[in-house]
Amino acid sequence: MERGEEKMSNIIETPEQAKQDATYYQALRELLLQLADDDLLISFRGSEWLGLAPHIEEDVAYSSITQNTMGHAVMYYNLLEELGEGRADILAHDRQPDERRNGCYLEKRNGEGMYLEEPYYDWALAVVRNYFYETCKKIKLEAIANSSYQPLAHVARKVLMEHPYHLAHWKLWMKQLQSSTDEAKKRMQTRIDEAWVEFADVLELGNLATDMRKHRLVTISEEEIKDKWLDEVKTILVDLPEGPVGKKYGSGRNGEHTDDLKQALDILAEVYNSDKAAAW
Amino acid sequence: MYNYVEDGDSKTTAYVEHDQEKYDAFMARIEAGEKIEADDWMPADYRQALIKLISMHGISEIMGALPEKEWVPKAPTLRRKLGIMAKVQDEMGHGQLLLRVAEDLMKPFGKTRENLMEDLLNGDLKFHNVFHMPTKTWADAGMVGWLVDGAAIMSQTNMLDASYGPYQRALQRICQEEVFHAQHGESIIMALAEGNEYQRSILQESLNRWWPALLMFFGPASAETTGSSKQDIMIKYKIRKSTNEELRQAFLSKYLPRVFSLGLTIPDETIHYDEKEEKWIYKQPDWAEFKQIIRNKGPKSKERLRLREIAYENNRWVRQALAQEPVNV
Amino acid sequence: MVKESDFYQVYEVFSRRGNKAPMQHQFSLLAPNKEMAMVMAQENFMRREDVVDVWVVKQSDIRKMNSEERQSLTNRLDNKQYRTTKGYGYLRQKWKEKEQGMLDEKEIMSWKEVKKK
Repeated sequence: MERGEEKMSNIIETPEQAKQDATYYQALRELLLQLADDDLLISFRGSEWLGLAPHIEEDVAYSSITQNTMGHAVMYYNLLEELGEGRADILAHDRQPDERRNGCYLEKRNGEGMYLEEPYYDWALAVVRNYFYETCKKIKLEAIANSSYQPLAHVARKVLMEHPYHLAHWKLWMKQLQSSTDEAKKRMQTRIDEAWVEFADVLELGNLATDMRKHRLVTISEEEIKDKWLDEVKTILVDLPEGPVGKKYGSGRNGEHTDDLKQALDILAEVYNSDKAAAW
Repeated sequence: MYNYVEDGDSKTTAYVEHDQEKYDAFMARIEAGEKIEADDWMPADYRQALIKLISMHGISEIMGALPEKEWVPKAPTLRRKLGIMAKVQDEMGHGQLLLRVAEDLMKPFGKTRENLMEDLLNGDLKFHNVFHMPTKTWADAGMVGWLVDGAAIMSQTNMLDASYGPYQRALQRICQEEVFHAQHGESIIMALAEGNEYQRSILQESLNRWWPALLMFFGPASAETTGSSKQDIMIKYKIRKSTNEELRQAFLSKYLPRVFSLGLTIPDETIHYDEKEEKWIYKQPDWAEFKQIIRNKGPKSKERLRLREIAYENNRWVRQALAQEPVNV
Repeated sequence: MVKESDFYQVYEVFSRRGNKAPMQHQFSLLAPNKEMAMVMAQENFMRREDVVDVWVVKQSDIRKMNSEERQSLTNRLDNKQYRTTKGYGYLRQKWKEKEQGMLDEKEIMSWKEVKKK
C-alpha cells in the first residue's frame, strides 16, 4: 500500500455502503459522471457521422463502436441511478452544460457544418479523437477494474471485454493515414497538433482526483494515467508535437465547456425537451 | 427496402449475343428453380434487369439511411438512441450487401461502386420514392420503421426465392434483420399511440403525410399508369412472384387492421375492403407526382443528394489515402 | 488521383460461430488491404451472432469453380450406397436375434464418455 493511502482498502459492495462516507460518495459520484459524460459525448458525435463515413463498410463498423460506447455510458448512468442521482435518461438528457463533466475535446464538433446540412466533417478529427480517447479509456478502465466500488469494477471489466476492438480499429486508421498521401499526412498532423493543446482534461480526474485515489476508486494516479497515455501514443504518432498536453478550453471536469457542448445538448435533447413528462 | 420501378433509359447496354441454345438451357434452369450465379451465362435483359433492380435497391438503402438518421442524434431516450442507431446502421449494411451483389453483375462492363455513386449523384441512378420525403417529427422516425419498412418487408420477402443466387442470399440476411426493424418501428409507434395528446397528434399527422408515399411505394399497378413498368420481366425470370398491385393489396391487408386498432385514421374516406371483389378499394395517389419524385424532384431530393455528395467528395482524400498499404501493421 | 477501382479489392469473409462449428462463408466486402478488410469484417456481417474466428481472403486468390465446372463436375450418380450405412440396415434385425443392440451413429457418437475406473 502506497504512502498517503488511507487504510481503507475496504470493498464497497452497495450504494448504501457508499453513502456512509460523504467524501467517498462525492468522489464516486464525480468519477461516474466523468466516465458517463465522456462516453456519451463522444458517442453523440459518432452518431452524427452515421451515413457520412468515407466508405460504406467503415460506416457500419464505426457505428458499432459508437453504439458500444453509448452502451457504456448507459451502464455508468445506471450506476448513478442506483445511487439515487436520478433516472439515467434524465442524467443524460437534462443536465445543464456547467453540470457536465466530460472533457472539452470530446464535445468538439465533427468539423464544419451540421449533420443535417452541409456536413463538412473531418475524418482526420474522427480518427485522432477516437484514437486518443480509446487509448486513454483503456488506461482508465484498467485503473478502475479493481476499484473499491464493486459495481463500478464490475462494469469496467465488462467494458474492457469489447474495448480491444475499438482501439485496434482506430490504431489501424492512424497508421494507414499517417503513412499515405501527403495530403493525408498533413491533415492528420493538423488534427494531432490541435488535440495536443486540448486533450489534457480528458486525461484528468478533476478536483476530487486525490479523494478518488485515496479511496481506491481508481488504482493509479492522474499523473500515471498521463504518463501511460503518452507512452502509448508515442508508439503510434509519427511526429510527436512539442510541449506538454494542454487544456486550451479549461477543464470539463470542473464544468468548464465550449459552445459546442451546448450545440450538442440542444440536438441530443430536442425531442426529450419537447415533452419531458411523456413516455417515449 | 425496395420495389422495382422503371424510369428512363438504362445507361448500361449489355452486349451478349443472343444464343437460342444457351437461352433455352438458362430458361430450363430458371423453370427448375435453380439459382443463377454471377459468372453463369445469362441473357442480356436478365443481367440488365438485375443490375437496375439491385443497384437501385442498394442505393435506396444508402439514401434511405438519411431520413431516419436525422433522428438518430435526437432520439428521446438512451434506449431509443441505441435502437435507432442500430437500425440505421443495418440499412447501411443492407446497402453494402446489395451494392456488392450489383458490383459483381456490372463487372463485365468494368463498372464499380465508384460508378454507382457517380450515377446517383448525376441523376442516372434513382432511389426509392419514400426516401425523397421529409421526416419532420419523431413520429416520422417511427412511421419509417413501421409502415415504410413494413412495405419494404412485403416487397423483399416476395423475392426471397429469387432466381439470382447472390441476390437471394443477400435478401435472406436482410429479411432476418427486418424482423428487428419491424418491431423497432412498432415500439416507437406504440409509445406514441398510447402516449399523451401531443404524441398522438404527431403520430396521426405523420401518417396523414406519409399515406400517399406508402401507396406509391409498390409502384403503379400497370404500365399505363406511368408509361413504363418492368414488372413482367421480373416475374418471367422468377426474380419476384407478385405484381405491384398484389403486393400493395397484401400490405393493406396486413397493416390496415393494425393501423385502425391503434385508433388511427387513413386520410382517404373512400378506403374500404370490398368483400365481393376481395380487395381494398382506395383513392389512387397522384402518379404524376410519383414520376416527379423519382426523377429527383421530390420535396427532399436535392437536400439528400447534396448530403451524399458532400460525404462522398469531402472524404475523397481518405479513400485516396487507402491506396497505399499501411506500414508496420 | 488514383482510381478507386484500382486499389479497392473484394475480400471474402468467413467466420466460425463456435469452436465446434466449421468455417462458414458470410459475404464479401470492399477494402483497400487485408488489415482494413479484417477490421471491417466482423461488424459488417456478424453484428448479431457469436464469432470465435474470422478469416478474410482476397477474392482473386480463390480458385473457384467456373460456371461450366459447377454444372459438370458436381454431379454424381445416386448409386453410392456402399459408402453409407444405408445397405446395412438388415443388421439391426440380425443383432436383435442375437440379443445385441445395433452400433448405429447415435450409439457410437455416445462413446466419447467411457466409464472412469
